[in-house]
Amino acid sequence: METERLNGNLFANMMRGGSLNIRQNRSIVNDLNVFPIPDGDTGDNMYMTVEAGCNAACLEHSDSLESVSASAAHGMLLGARGNSGVILSRIFAGIAEGFKGCPNADVKSLGAAFERGVSHAYGAVSVPIEGTILTVYKDAVRYANSLVTEDSTLHQYFNNFTLELRRSLERTPELLAVLKEAGVVDSGGAGFVYIIEGMKNVLDGVDTPFEEHTASGTSHKTVDTSSFNENSVMTFGYCTEFLLQLQSSKVDIDSFDIADFSNYLNSIGDSVVVFLDGSIVKVHVHTMTPGVVLGFGQAYGEYLTVKIENMTLQHNDVTIQNRFSPPKIERKRAFGIVAVACGAGIKQTFTDLGASYVVEGGQCMNPSAEDFIRAFDEVNAETIFVLPNNGNILLTARQAAELYDKSDIRVIPSRTIGDGYAALSMYDDASGDADQIEALAIGSMEGVVTGEISRAIRDSSSNGLHVSAGEYIGIARGKIHCAKPDRTSAVADLCQLLDAGSRDVMILVRGSDAPVEEAEQLCADLGAQYKRTEVILLDGGQAVYDYIIIFE
Amino acid sequence: MYTLFADTDCDMTPKLAKEHGFKLISMPYSIDGKTIYPYEDFEEFKSKEFYDMLRGGVTPTTSAIGIDKYKAYFEPEFAAGNDILYVHFSKAMSMTFGNMDAAVKDLLEKYPDRKFYAIDTRCISIGGLNIALEIGDMRNEGKTAEQIVEWAKTGIYKFATYYFADDLKFFKRSGRVGGITATMGTLLGVRPIIYMNADGKMVSIGKERGRVKALERLLAYVDELGEDIDKHRVFIAHADSGDFAEEFISMLTAKYGDKLDIHCLLLNPTAGSHCGPNSMGVCFHAKHR
Repeated sequence: METERLNGNLFANMMRGGSLNIRQNRSIVNDLNVFPIPDGDTGDNMYMTVEAGCNAACLEHSDSLESVSASAAHGMLLGARGNSGVILSRIFAGIAEGFKGCPNADVKSLGAAFERGVSHAYGAVSVPIEGTILTVYKDAVRYANSLVTEDSTLHQYFNNFTLELRRSLERTPELLAVLKEAGVVDSGGAGFVYIIEGMKNVLDGVDTPFEEHTASGTSHKTVDTSSFNENSVMTFGYCTEFLLQLQSSKVDIDSFDIADFSNYLNSIGDSVVVFLDGSIVKVHVHTMTPGVVLGFGQAYGEYLTVKIENMTLQHNDVTIQNRFSPPKIERKRAFGIVAVACGAGIKQTFTDLGASYVVEGGQCMNPSAEDFIRAFDEVNAETIFVLPNNGNILLTARQAAELYDKSDIRVIPSRTIGDGYAALSMYDDASGDADQIEALAIGSMEGVVTGEISRAIRDSSSNGLHVSAGEYIGIARGKIHCAKPDRTSAVADLCQLLDAGSRDVMILVRGSDAPVEEAEQLCADLGAQYKRTEVILLDGGQAVYDYIIIFE
Repeated sequence: MYTLFADTDCDMTPKLAKEHGFKLISMPYSIDGKTIYPYEDFEEFKSKEFYDMLRGGVTPTTSAIGIDKYKAYFEPEFAAGNDILYVHFSKAMSMTFGNMDAAVKDLLEKYPDRKFYAIDTRCISIGGLNIALEIGDMRNEGKTAEQIVEWAKTGIYKFATYYFADDLKFFKRSGRVGGITATMGTLLGVRPIIYMNADGKMVSIGKERGRVKALERLLAYVDELGEDIDKHRVFIAHADSGDFAEEFISMLTAKYGDKLDIHCLLLNPTAGSHCGPNSMGVCFHAKHR
């Protein structure tokens, strides 16, 4: 059967398919890292972003495409993590805008809405870079739209769309030298392809294999159960997912009708996604009565896995809380600082330096826009300065700032831990003038360079330098500067290349993988070598980077 | 005839006191409940030992001297028929002067013909020392105690002291510095810049990252506020951070040639207990503080 029009239900189910597919493939996307070190997280970020949209879409009790796509977009804007996540959320925000006033859409309207997504996404970044998710999406939209005729079906549209997505993705190394050098395609683009292919699978009725939620890789945040108490009303039902092993003792497996099974689930729930994989039925359904669903399923077989989550709880936790939380009673303070950091030592240092709230996050774990919003609520100040301290978190922070209207949010463009440290250590709000404080913070970051030492997990060639797996590489200003068989010589090399002798202060931040004695010795050696430079050791406790070196 | 007194909080040492004709009052500090009177309980201040102890985590406290101790300093002079001019460290920084006032009151009742003059330098450390030595010069030129007291009404404000510290935990504990905010906890190379204000209080007026910027900022203050600096002593004190002091002296020399009368000394342990090891400061003749 050819689906001619896209309605809200189908859109929500397609998003679920997209989310399942990126979840399944997120490690592949993570590994598309220009640096040969285990700090890629694009797959995780995109999965968590689309999942946030998916949850919001599934909670929308309407079949209207306008409402469902708007809910999904809002969920994604809040859930956006990392630059790719932010751009992804902007694409869907543009699409939702394109669906305004549409209870459903034909292929032409779909194409127009997708085109809207292009301009929206390009508008999200100050300097759009070609060879990224932006290009991949734009190319595919332009290609698919050029082939739309009066008779086009959604299937045909998505066929063309995904075909060009893949082709454009393959072209990204031609557009972006850093990808070509590293021998990878753009990770954000690749993540996007998986999402759209997952959406297309639902449209085509093709199985997207899905694994358990507990699979490694992504840490799910703990749900705050306090938001559902003895007086709460169950509004949103349960998100119920299970793998059901059909049993020949209960049913004739060969003649098992998945459509009947699915129809029944639709009668007692919604957002139903059902696949048959051999003799295993995979189910996702939102229902007020999971017991009925489980009882029904058990008539056909036995459960391999079951996951049931209270969506009212999730909803309170994720969505409502932020939009409808009562204003805090205590008076706002004038200024507050939200900083992003990971590693116990770095977090503590940032707190000591005066950060009002430290959002857990960094290279491997990008916080969502919503995490920032939560932090803003917590800080509750008239003006809040935000230090993202990572180039891949900057956009998310800005997105959160745009979404938040209870305070004047000012994102200081700190791209490294060193930037953040510099801005924070010189922070001074004595003037009481937000513009002046902001200018001081930005000025403090000038001339600060952050170097990182991490271990390569694969061979690579970059910046004219060959790196073998297992070597320690020194990274600074987005480039690999050196590769050495051991940590200490990598640090020594990087220090030399970054002209440590001309620096006033050098802070060596020890990561969790570097031994204390080694760090202390290194600190003493560097101090002896660079007599004019103050060498300070800080126990950062960060993962991935054995050392972070801040040069001032 | 009057006798000059100064105290160890003003970085006055027995040697300097002898050279410039001062009697010395020892201002104590305590470690683990043991009170130590500089130059009474030891002959020579072993700064490295002392500041290393602070680096190792010991945080001394400072204490006031008692009425009897003041009497023991002052009474022999009154008994010998001498008046007293005491050039002391900032009254705003210690409770000790209540005891001094009580002691002096008692003594003046006993020796009604004697006079006691006190000059509050509104400084501590080298600021107080610079003023005291200036006053020593004036006494040698034959100025009376009254003339000096009159001079001090404006003269003391012509000596500016600026310094930076390395570790704020000493300030935080002693509570002796204004303007130190919660945002100044872990320093990691960030140095708060502190000066003695006209009320005789230490006030933080900003911070600089790194030694070079901190030293440059001190030099900028000398430049901006300095007045006849080559006609008065320039004092530099450091809390066991001689390399900072040396660097600063060479910066001063590069800027002003060798016409400055620069004296470098160790920050006394009592003041050092407030600002901690690796602090460094400069006192110079200025338009104002």
